[in-house]
Amino acid sequence: MPTRQEAPLPSRGRRIPEHYWGYLLLAPAVAMVLALILYPVIYSGWLSFHFKHAYLPLQTFIGLENYRELLLDGDGFWRSVYLGAIYGFGSTILQIILGLSAALMLNESFFGKALMRGVALFPYMVPTVVVAILMKWILNDAYGILPYVMDNLGIGRILWFGSDWVMVTVILVSTWTFFPFVVIGTLARLQTIDPELYSAAKVDGAGVIRRFWHVTLPQLANVLFVVILLRTMFMFTKFDVIWLITGSGGIGFYTKTLPIHTFMKTFGELQVGAGAALSMMMFLMLVVFALIYFKLYKRDEHI
Amino acid sequence: MNARLKKILSRISFYIGVATFALFCGFPMIWMVLTSIKPDGDILRATPVFWSWDTHLDHYRNLFDQTDFLIYFVNSITVATSATLLTIVIATLAAYGITRFRFTGREYIAGGMLFTYMFAPILIVVPFYILMKNYGLINTKLGLVLAYTTFSLPFSMWLLRSFFQSIPLDLEEAAMTDGASRPQAVVRVIVPLAFPGVIAVSIFTFIVAWNDYLFARVLTSANDMKTLPIGMNDLYNATITDWGMMMAGGVVVTVPALVFFIMIQRYLISGWGAGAIKG
Repeated sequence: MPTRQEAPLPSRGRRIPEHYWGYLLLAPAVAMVLALILYPVIYSGWLSFHFKHAYLPLQTFIGLENYRELLLDGDGFWRSVYLGAIYGFGSTILQIILGLSAALMLNESFFGKALMRGVALFPYMVPTVVVAILMKWILNDAYGILPYVMDNLGIGRILWFGSDWVMVTVILVSTWTFFPFVVIGTLARLQTIDPELYSAAKVDGAGVIRRFWHVTLPQLANVLFVVILLRTMFMFTKFDVIWLITGSGGIGFYTKTLPIHTFMKTFGELQVGAGAALSMMMFLMLVVFALIYFKLYKRDEHI
Repeated sequence: MNARLKKILSRISFYIGVATFALFCGFPMIWMVLTSIKPDGDILRATPVFWSWDTHLDHYRNLFDQTDFLIYFVNSITVATSATLLTIVIATLAAYGITRFRFTGREYIAGGMLFTYMFAPILIVVPFYILMKNYGLINTKLGLVLAYTTFSLPFSMWLLRSFFQSIPLDLEEAAMTDGASRPQAVVRVIVPLAFPGVIAVSIFTFIVAWNDYLFARVLTSANDMKTLPIGMNDLYNATITDWGMMMAGGVVVTVPALVFFIMIQRYLISGWGAGAIKG
């Protein structure tokens, strides 16, 4: 049908050629995206070759100096990459496990299923700032309900915001609030799996677990591929949850992932050039990750 | 008999799983609401009180009387609404242009717009800040509106495009043979038909603007420019935490997002693959 839609309309009076209208109508949208997304990214690349202060009008071209410095900065850059990887992969894996389990459960038929599907999306709807403050309350050392319950169950107390546990806490909170993304993605696909496949597997004597491995998982492969890619990229660049829970000082040191490090370099130490270099490194890492990921997936497909 | 018992047992354990899951998802919010209506004496207890017999709305009153929460609330509404209106206008024009006209590079533009959605906010915030500073847009609502509009444009355009594609051209032509000009035909015939799409786009943009912390943090510092996420966080950091009041604030910030989310749910689910939900 597309050709039908594009047929020229009856001409009326003086006319501007059709295709100009297309450009004209798109112009504001394209201009905004070019000016406020694409240009900043290129500008960021340019800034990364400079020493630039956030407020003072200092700007000197220093070539690759920013990159050299950050690559030699073990306690700052490399540590933040390491922590970022723990956070990114840790929370993504948990989200996939939890989200997939929830989707499998919500795909069964049971009483109150429609309501549960709504409830499953709850954590995703709460604004991040509220998630952070609410979890600080629930996990509060003195008055929090979870430490109290865990105490009474004999699990004992955990210092959720102590240096040993704060990374775990941030990962768990992120998992709680973002796993519905995985549910939404996989549930939609689960519903379209042909029930015949399950009956056939049942006839062959496959139990629940084998049906999951040999029927469900292969069918979900494509969706999971996209979901894992998106989640990893989103989590690796996640700023607000971590920042709102731990902040810049104190325990923030133990959760200083690459996005936090970038933010603090730029707006804490006011070194915009170095911050821009960090942004570019983050972008590069995402591209490399995506390329490797696609390559691995393609190889898997051929087998 | 044994098989039947096994079946019943597995059914029961399944429902226990469902109940646990419901608690896991829903309890934090229930606890937030309960805390927000409890007197301080019941909030600050080593043994938490689930339900207080002395519930009141004092925390909500304090929030609006003793803090600048109302200013933040109005700012958030203003910024989110402006960004939404601007997005609708620009995205509608673009989506119409891209579905109804044939021109070179059309597919590239559509694809490129979606690709930009992959740039995470943290990657853009540094240069974005410098740009806004150069144009004198720091501490203005306009700066925030521009940021949120740009971020929601690619998805909004993509969603509206799929709506426009489903509207037959004949309807537009019929209106035009009846003497309507093309803009009239679009406004009276096409936009009403694509209305669900327009609503979905509005709510999506509104939520983006309503929830954002990073850009609001970087682009504003004056107290009378703060939006809710900034205001909430600064209130939390400012003094010894008044948990009842913070939870009341949490409820007030969450409710609009929750209501809009429920309204938009089915569009999000159909559109998630193209980056409908980011974050």
